[in-house]
Amino acid sequence: MSTHVATISSPAGSSAAGSIHSVGAAANKALVLGFVGLAATGLGVVVSGKAAAFSYLTGLVFWVAVALGALFLIMIHHVFDAGWSTVLRRQYENWITCLPWLGLLFAPLLISAVVAPGLIWKWTDPSYDLSQIGGHGTVSQDVLWVKKSGLLSTMTLIIASFVGFGGWTLISSRLRAHSVAQDTDGDIAHTHANRFWTAVGLPFTALSMTLCVILWVKALDYHWYSTMFGVWFFAGAIRAALSLGIILMIWLWSRGDFKGILNNNHMHSIGMLMFAFTVFWAYITFSQYFLIYMANIPEETFWYSLREINKDGHFNSWGYVGMFLLFGHFFAPFLTLIHYPVKLSKTWLPRVGAFIAAVVLVDMIYNVMPSLKNSSGDAYPFLSLNLLWIATSVVGVGGVCVWAYLNSFAKTKLIPIRDPRIVESLTYHE
Amino acid sequence: MAATFYGLMARFDTAPEIYHAAQQVRDAGYKNWDCITPFPVHGLDGAMGLGRSNVPKFSLVGGLTGFTTGMSMIWFTGAFDYPLIVGGKPYFSPLFAFPISYELTILFTAFATIAGMFILNWLPQHYHPVLKSKEILRGLDDAFYVVIEARDPKFDLNRAKALLSHAGAKEISELEA
Repeated sequence: MSTHVATISSPAGSSAAGSIHSVGAAANKALVLGFVGLAATGLGVVVSGKAAAFSYLTGLVFWVAVALGALFLIMIHHVFDAGWSTVLRRQYENWITCLPWLGLLFAPLLISAVVAPGLIWKWTDPSYDLSQIGGHGTVSQDVLWVKKSGLLSTMTLIIASFVGFGGWTLISSRLRAHSVAQDTDGDIAHTHANRFWTAVGLPFTALSMTLCVILWVKALDYHWYSTMFGVWFFAGAIRAALSLGIILMIWLWSRGDFKGILNNNHMHSIGMLMFAFTVFWAYITFSQYFLIYMANIPEETFWYSLREINKDGHFNSWGYVGMFLLFGHFFAPFLTLIHYPVKLSKTWLPRVGAFIAAVVLVDMIYNVMPSLKNSSGDAYPFLSLNLLWIATSVVGVGGVCVWAYLNSFAKTKLIPIRDPRIVESLTYHE
Repeated sequence: MAATFYGLMARFDTAPEIYHAAQQVRDAGYKNWDCITPFPVHGLDGAMGLGRSNVPKFSLVGGLTGFTTGMSMIWFTGAFDYPLIVGGKPYFSPLFAFPISYELTILFTAFATIAGMFILNWLPQHYHPVLKSKEILRGLDDAFYVVIEARDPKFDLNRAKALLSHAGAKEISELEA
């Protein structure tokens, strides 16, 4: 109890003024790495064409998931007037500065939909010949497209992406600006303003994110129906953002910044959230699979068949990826995180987090890449050159995200020092 | 029949006092003792030297029982006792057995957790020696008590009394069983 007094006084002053330079150098390195990754992906487009564009979409959507997950966690913090997560919130506020850059990185895909329609999304080109991917006729002759053509058009794609990235950028910049401004003046009005932006932002982000991922990812196979898709993306996004949070917490702790700030109860709480969203992801993903399995309707089942067997009946590599997701994305984290000491371990919890983040990426690959079909309508194998382009995209876009984070990190205080809940968070006890 | 001696009950007036007293009783090596407080005192479990609760072990057993029950029930009814094709599905698949297994996992875990809590706390307990003391009413209101039981292997009346008064007890009374 008496230690609380000692811990409160230290963090406010130690905003790591001395180490900003080292962060600046790291930010530049991240940006250079990002450019190298993006350049390599550009090379991939020259070498592999369409497949590299799909890979870029995978890598980009993964980082969009991380950023939106962080945005959601900030808004969830405000809407519940949460206490304990206040010390962590600032790191998420730094991270979401990448959202406008992600929007910029998304622009090439939208441009491709105009100048090279059908490259990624078949329905951006109504004259797309479906016989190239094992179908027949063109997209405009496909009744399943005709009935959905109001939604599945280039114009909707562009508008939805603009509204999405524009809205997320606006909401994230407001949330961050008010939080940072409160460090200087301590005005409670900033807390109230953030509650306003949260009340507007939560439904907006939920709807726009769902619409965007339906157009970006789900509509790669536009025959498919799944009412679980938006929630599936949300589950992955939150899991990736929680993993990011624990990794940042431990990074700051091992650097020394979070010494005296981070206590076991913070670890336990974020560990419980990671556990809860592991179960949530499993619930959503199982429901999607189970409903499709039980109903057994061809417009739905083909999506899973594609990811398990080829047209000739042979089991393909995506079936193993699916099994890996079942065990790696659910059973392994579930059985690990259910164990109490793991949630308190500064060694194990970030490892579990890194693993979960990696499997979120595999989940994205599983959802995007098999939609790239060969002439007999089968998915290309999981282990292919495309994995290299996915890796370069993840490094490229990730480098830009880390650069944006470190830039913002150097400019802000380590924790929101004048937040009304900061003392509650520093002395957090369950 | 003369009443048997149960143990010592010592009163403390503030939460920090009982917190530090608990640390001393813990360090003296007593096992059969307890703290009675009018409200939860944060960190008192640590000061008393209590480890993690054993309730999760009951929960784990309950959960595994529930999962196994669900799976075997669907297998028994659908594939063994009365095989019947429903909706073109196989007689048994873990897929459609999963929802019921998962529901039973939760249900049995909940039962086992509550049962485990009752068992480990020796509940229901209609009588406890401290209830004989009028003082315990203050333990529900504004006073904090440490109770050391005579059955503790380390218990020695004079030494226990000395320990408690050294720890700052305001009043020490003897309890009858």
